[in-house]
Amino acid sequence: MNRLLVHILLSPRFFYRKLGVNIAQLKAILSTKLLMDERRPNSLQQVQQKKSDKPTKASTLGTMIMAAFLGIVFIFPLLLTNDHLTQFTLFFTLLVFFLSMMLITDFTSVLIEVRDNLIILPKPVNEKTFLLARLLHIIAHVSKIVLPMCLPSFIYLSFNIKWHGVIVLMLLIPFSTLLSIFIINMVYLIILKITTPEKFKTIISYIQIVFSIVVYGSYQLLPRLMKDVISNQFIIPQKSILLFCPPYWFAGGWLFLYEQHFTPILFSAFLLSILIPILCIWLVIKYFAPAFTAKLSLISGSVTDEISTLHKKVLPNKKSRPFKEQLVNILTNTNMQRMGFLHTWYMTARSRDFKMKVYPSIGYVIVLLVLSLFKIKQRNFAAIVDSLKVDISYIITGMYFSGFILLIALGQLKISAKWKASWIYYTTPITTPGNIINGAVKALIIKFFAIPGLIVFIVGITVGGIAQLPNLLLCISNQLFITYLIAYLSINMFPFSEDELSNQRGKNFLYSMMILLIPVCIGGMHYLFYNNIPIVIIMLCLSAIAVWLVHGSVNELSWSKIKIKA
Amino acid sequence: MEAIIQLNGVFKNYGVKKVLKGIYLNIYPGQVIGYIGPNGAGKSTTVKILTGLITDYDGEVLIGGIDLKQDPIAIKRKIGYVPELAELYDVLTPREFLGFMANLYELPTTVAAERIEKMLAAFGLQEVIDARMETFSKGMKQKVLITSGILHNPEILILDEPLSGLDANSVIIVKELISKLAKEGKTVFYCSHMMDVVEKVSDRIVLIHEGVVIADGTIEELKQQKGNASLENIFSQLTATESLNKAADHLISAFE
Repeated sequence: MNRLLVHILLSPRFFYRKLGVNIAQLKAILSTKLLMDERRPNSLQQVQQKKSDKPTKASTLGTMIMAAFLGIVFIFPLLLTNDHLTQFTLFFTLLVFFLSMMLITDFTSVLIEVRDNLIILPKPVNEKTFLLARLLHIIAHVSKIVLPMCLPSFIYLSFNIKWHGVIVLMLLIPFSTLLSIFIINMVYLIILKITTPEKFKTIISYIQIVFSIVVYGSYQLLPRLMKDVISNQFIIPQKSILLFCPPYWFAGGWLFLYEQHFTPILFSAFLLSILIPILCIWLVIKYFAPAFTAKLSLISGSVTDEISTLHKKVLPNKKSRPFKEQLVNILTNTNMQRMGFLHTWYMTARSRDFKMKVYPSIGYVIVLLVLSLFKIKQRNFAAIVDSLKVDISYIITGMYFSGFILLIALGQLKISAKWKASWIYYTTPITTPGNIINGAVKALIIKFFAIPGLIVFIVGITVGGIAQLPNLLLCISNQLFITYLIAYLSINMFPFSEDELSNQRGKNFLYSMMILLIPVCIGGMHYLFYNNIPIVIIMLCLSAIAVWLVHGSVNELSWSKIKIKA
Repeated sequence: MEAIIQLNGVFKNYGVKKVLKGIYLNIYPGQVIGYIGPNGAGKSTTVKILTGLITDYDGEVLIGGIDLKQDPIAIKRKIGYVPELAELYDVLTPREFLGFMANLYELPTTVAAERIEKMLAAFGLQEVIDARMETFSKGMKQKVLITSGILHNPEILILDEPLSGLDANSVIIVKELISKLAKEGKTVFYCSHMMDVVEKVSDRIVLIHEGVVIADGTIEELKQQKGNASLENIFSQLTATESLNKAADHLISAFE
């Protein structure tokens, strides 16, 4: 398929040659770039990747299928109402949003490939060839996403409106695509303005994480919201104030061309939908692109190393130090535990791999929590509080749910891309490896459970009163027990010492079953008796003893239980 | 004989920091230049200017009589470059990557294919010629990069730490390669920290420090000037601000 794409893109050879472009080199760059795209994990795979031993193949096809799947969401607004202006304003809002999000994550790896500077620039390739190759690559890349993304809507529309309506839509989509590219450029510029190029990639990963959460959330929420909107007869009117909202231009433009409603507002919308994207893209080419290519080349260039190390002075963070020191002193009682705690504390805050794996799950848990609130039929806040008062089981469920974040983090504790650095554990005189693992687990508990647990605890006490204290304490104690039990069963290595690749599917599956079954069993037991406070108190005592025992077992894990990987 | 590479008063600033403060250098065909200097001296910046990666410098750079600012493309055809970091598109296989490089140098496909096979075989990479480079070791990637630098048979070869990550046998191959290329009249610009290798392969040493050339001559000339010291000692005499012995003393005294 790539060959076909290259063929199509290179068809105006005569014109390119006139521009002074070297066709042979252009073809070489373009086909290599497309080949590399094929082998690169696409934007959603980057977040949810379960790295396997197999190298990525036919990633384009995957991207296209995924884009088509995402595109199904665009049909919702079309189903929502019969008012075209409302339908298409929402349609273009979703399109611009999803497209920007999908492209934003690819832009670093695909469109502004910093390695190009070292690999292609020293070669005898003139600037025009280089720029045209980049431009055609962008077009190829974007169309691979936009076309399948809009396909479900095209199919739906072709059954429901006249055919030329679909054609008009096809004409407007490239303009909304240009707008999305402009938005991405602006986001990039802002990020580069407020932060250093080194942090750039980290921020892009955060955006990626947010994107995957939004996608997950929108699939869960949109169908539910739709019902509400339909029952309220929601309609977007023709008002000039709405011209400040870009998706409205495209919807207006579509109505203007398709239904030939020649009102001033629709005409302005039509003009804006064509002119603004062209203006934006001109701005990008003329001003923004050169500025940020220059800045981005700093990301991997040795220039940054020289400059940043010169100008950056490491300021001792006086405020936070005593707090962390105190925390460590309270929670750990040996040097080894302390080391495990601090190492995990720093790594979880700084390692991008870790964050990419764990943070999306935090988002998913939040989405699920929000959804479980939706299940409570009451819609206003006071009513929700009332129903929580009546039924404390929501609070209990919430507490166990928030524990999932911790368990997911625990599952990632062993794994690191920099696992080779774990030689430090094997060459130093560590007597009881369990000490370090215990410290690490403590750090995870503080980081990933303390805050959500505390929030749920406070909410629980507020709505349920002091009478619910045993139930809440049992939740916390059980959560600690679950965590330590799973740590005891699953951790056979030091923190951050296992290669991602060796973490095979089978093990992942086993771990997933474990983090599902153990909390469900223990939480289920709690659920059965939560109304019977004396039993809850007895369970609390038993649970506390169990925590104490299993905590001790983890702390005592010996070398014979540890897998050495060097 | 006319110099093949001429740098006439080359200056380069990064913001307020002056990295190159006027480099003057004439390099003749067939010379192997060992370009050395401490970290941050401006070695990499010089290399980036010569290879066309940095264009906003002040001063004049002539290569083969052509001004680098006037016709960078003509100059890039003459140069082969092996970058310092193992930067390559590692989702490609060596055959694909080198084929791509050959295309950029506009080598005929058949010639390129034959050369790629022969060169990779010489480096012992024929087994992995069609394997993706993601799993390659640093040394293997470096071999691919060296191949990409000489594939089009350039007049000038610019090497930035070419031996990093290579095993002893490969180091011997590269050292031999450099001296054979020089015998064929090629110019080699060898940028490195490894004094012992520089001493062996180069027939002229250029030492830069804080953006200026502070020593330039054959290894014998430098030794005569500095009382028959080794290159390592000459290097530290000229560039170390404090006695290196003292630094070691400070390290030891930290135990007390």
